[in-house]
Amino acid sequence: MRFTVRVWRQTGSEDAGRLVEYDVDDVSPDMSFLEMLDVLNERLTLRGEEPVAFDHDCREGICGMCGLTINGVAHGPRRATTTCQLHMREFTDGDTIVVEPWRAAPFPVVRDLVVDRGALDEVVRAGGYVSVSTGSAPEAHATPVARADADKAFESAACIGCGACVAACPNGSAMLFTAAKVTHLGRLPQGAPERDTRALDMLAAHDEAGFGGCTNTGECTAVCPKGIPLADIAQFNQDVLRASLRGAGGRPA
Amino acid sequence: MQFHKYDVVIVGAGGAGMRAAIESGQQARTAVLTKLYPTRSHTGAAQGGMCAALANVEEDNWEWHTFDTVKGGDYLVDQDAAEIMAKEAIDAVLDLEKMGLPFNRTPEGKIDQRRFGGHTRNHGEAAVRRACYAADRTGHMILQTLYQNCIKHEVEFFNEFYVLDICLTETADGPVCTGAVALELATGEIHVFQAKAVVFATGGFGKVFKTTSNAHTLTGDGMAIVFRKGLPLEDMEFYQFHPTGLAGLGILLTEGARGEGGILRNDSGERFMERYAPTIKDLAPRDMVARAMATEVREGRGCGPHKDYVLLDLTHLGAEVLDAKLPDITEFSRTYLGIDPVEEPVPVYPTAHYAMGGIPTNIKGEVLRDAENVVPGLYAAGECACVSVHGANRLGTNSLLDINVFGRRAGIAAAEYAKAHDFVDLPEAPEVPVVAMVDKLNASTGGERVANIRTELQQTMDANASVYRTEDTLKQALHDVQALKERFDRVAIQDHGKRYNTDLLEAVELGFLLELAEVLVLGAINRKESRGGHAREDYTTRDDVNFLRHTMAYKQISDDDTTKKTGFGGLTADIRLDYKPVVITRYQPMERKY
Ligand SMILES: Cc1cc2nc3c(=O)[nH]c(=O)nc-3n(C[C@H](O)[C@H](O)[C@H](O)COP(=O)(O)OP(=O)(O)OC[C@H]3O[C@@H](n4cnc5c(N)ncnc54)[C@H](O)[C@@H]3O)c2cc1C
Ligand code: FES
Repeated sequence: MRFTVRVWRQTGSEDAGRLVEYDVDDVSPDMSFLEMLDVLNERLTLRGEEPVAFDHDCREGICGMCGLTINGVAHGPRRATTTCQLHMREFTDGDTIVVEPWRAAPFPVVRDLVVDRGALDEVVRAGGYVSVSTGSAPEAHATPVARADADKAFESAACIGCGACVAACPNGSAMLFTAAKVTHLGRLPQGAPERDTRALDMLAAHDEAGFGGCTNTGECTAVCPKGIPLADIAQFNQDVLRASLRGAGGRPA
Repeated sequence: MQFHKYDVVIVGAGGAGMRAAIESGQQARTAVLTKLYPTRSHTGAAQGGMCAALANVEEDNWEWHTFDTVKGGDYLVDQDAAEIMAKEAIDAVLDLEKMGLPFNRTPEGKIDQRRFGGHTRNHGEAAVRRACYAADRTGHMILQTLYQNCIKHEVEFFNEFYVLDICLTETADGPVCTGAVALELATGEIHVFQAKAVVFATGGFGKVFKTTSNAHTLTGDGMAIVFRKGLPLEDMEFYQFHPTGLAGLGILLTEGARGEGGILRNDSGERFMERYAPTIKDLAPRDMVARAMATEVREGRGCGPHKDYVLLDLTHLGAEVLDAKLPDITEFSRTYLGIDPVEEPVPVYPTAHYAMGGIPTNIKGEVLRDAENVVPGLYAAGECACVSVHGANRLGTNSLLDINVFGRRAGIAAAEYAKAHDFVDLPEAPEVPVVAMVDKLNASTGGERVANIRTELQQTMDANASVYRTEDTLKQALHDVQALKERFDRVAIQDHGKRYNTDLLEAVELGFLLELAEVLVLGAINRKESRGGHAREDYTTRDDVNFLRHTMAYKQISDDDTTKKTGFGGLTADIRLDYKPVVITRYQPMERKY
């Protein structure tokens, strides 16, 4: 197969950046999207040009490193798939493919297709944990968890933090990400004591980091490689409302 | 150059590093330096489970677990360490539960457990359900949970910091670890971290092989860094090949698939493991299953047009079980091979997976400088370390356990050491070796390319140092690796910028891989026996008289000018092999049958 790829090139935060067109041929339909970019980079290196920078590691849809906007869609045309798991057979021979980094104010472009997703960390930092002291063996005892709760928590905990939800959202909101963290912990008995403060603190950190508000367009869940449902956001909103009404943590409602 | 001072510096933010940080961060000022974002570390790829004799679903106890670990490791396991790991496993799982890890549950709400290779009831009677799991995303859940807890304890992370050297200060009693030197990816700047204690938790080095379950960044940095300082590496010839990699790709399908009832079949549909391990069949330890698969293929009973793989049959499990307990691997098979495991068996072949060897430590995580003495202030845990709880072959689910148990121990020991000791002065100009290495790569105008050397390294290792080995193949590998090292001396990089120069770092990582490949191959040539993951066709039996001992490999560092300038003595320095006795407490070596 052969493709015309238009790739976003940007040397750093000071550079405005632009799309640059390349032809890539000899692409097999079984190659992943990143392998296609490897081929392009090999050619560029041979010609003495700078290879295109993009993030990746596991190439198995697990680590959440990869993430490209392909023809305007975060992670490309196939649902529930990370960029590294997208194969060239999803495209038609001769296609022109536009490849851009995640676009969102809190994700500054570092170089070419690489963005800094540190803002997501800030959100977790605000409360995405359970406070426990570990290793105190004598009091160690198992916490029974109803299967339905464990299953729901598992579903939300599947988030790999790739940031596709933010890239897809017209408001640049990270509500799906935040909601997944809150729902995972809130659903478990271990996470219950901090449920109210967690919801409020993480929401505040989310807004503080510059992510936009959620208007329920559902673009996020459509591109989420792990299928985190929109229902998590609804749950999160309920938690926030409940916490505000109860004046959690002495904070004003 | 920037300078930082911390009580404890932890290198690596996978499971082992973060478990250490949780402990250390509560007692001492702790920094974690990591080349990847913590939640992107490779622990996240672990699928099948973490074992502990909780006895939630059937009778079990830590002594059976210890025995299985020792026997699984073909008696090269240090038995005191294995006993500690099996005992502390229970708290390790409960700690994670308390931190909010969503384990799969039984209908009564207890943590569910499943079968895994080599884990048995009452010393080998039958397979036992010992692995706790969160579907086939156990590692992802562990990593996220530990990260959340590190944040809770306000551990400071330095993300995308590549540690390239450690600082050892010579004292009258030998070397003491006083810090680490890192390159910051974003700026290209060199940072020196002075510390009272340094913990290495940098993971494995699967990228010496072509067909591997390991991610791009698993280049054995920590192991290579200490080795270049003249400190030993232990049992590096023992590398595990996981039986069920997707054929031709190496992507892992968890052993949990066989734990849930999956069956391996050859071209005639025969369940061939019945011939190799009559009692536990498909759930025999990985080394045995991998060899059985290679043998089936060699003897012409492989499947497919080239008869070069076998089949993993999951069709009888049904869509529901696959969906609830093995969703990721079901998806892998669909995505990568276009095969739906609900309908059709999946082509599989062994894939390079796990380093049993590594930086030798004692049960506190203190790094050894020879068979007896430790390097004060230096600790290691996780896949980069060798305690040794895995001996010649690791059992599935024992690594996630290892990183939690020994990560915790190393974190506690490092913090306690830091509290009890003052800072020791750094050696003079500690940044010089790293600066020299970077300058050399930048200045090189040689015609060699990183990608080519790496590809050739991986090819020769796959061809000559994998499941089956002989003197001839190993000597070929040694010859190739040494030639590649010479070519590496002329390697040139394209990108000479400072910011985000991944080109430069890939070259550095390739240097680490070459170093480790040579140690692996030399150890393998020297070990004239077959034990666990090391199978010699010219020495087919285990030889306890001559080889029931750990290999210790040292780089011979000469005192000449280049050594002083680079600290590394060049890539081609000689390697000296020595030994360390195996700790045997309860179990005398026996023949290994399943
Ligand atoms: C596909 C797969 C499935 C697996 N499934 C299981 C399973 O079900 N059960 C089980 O028990 N085991 C399993 N394993 C093995 C297990 O996951 C690993 O052995 C274990 O997670 C290693 O953890 P670690 O903390 O030692 O290293 P890692 O998680 O690899 O972390 C290494 C860390 O070191 C950092 N680092 C490396 N080099 C540098 C450097 N130079 N400077 C700074 N930082 C550095 C990295 O950024 C990273 O944070 C599996 C492995 C694979 C590959
Ligand atoms: S590279 Fe790891 S998720 Fe894509």
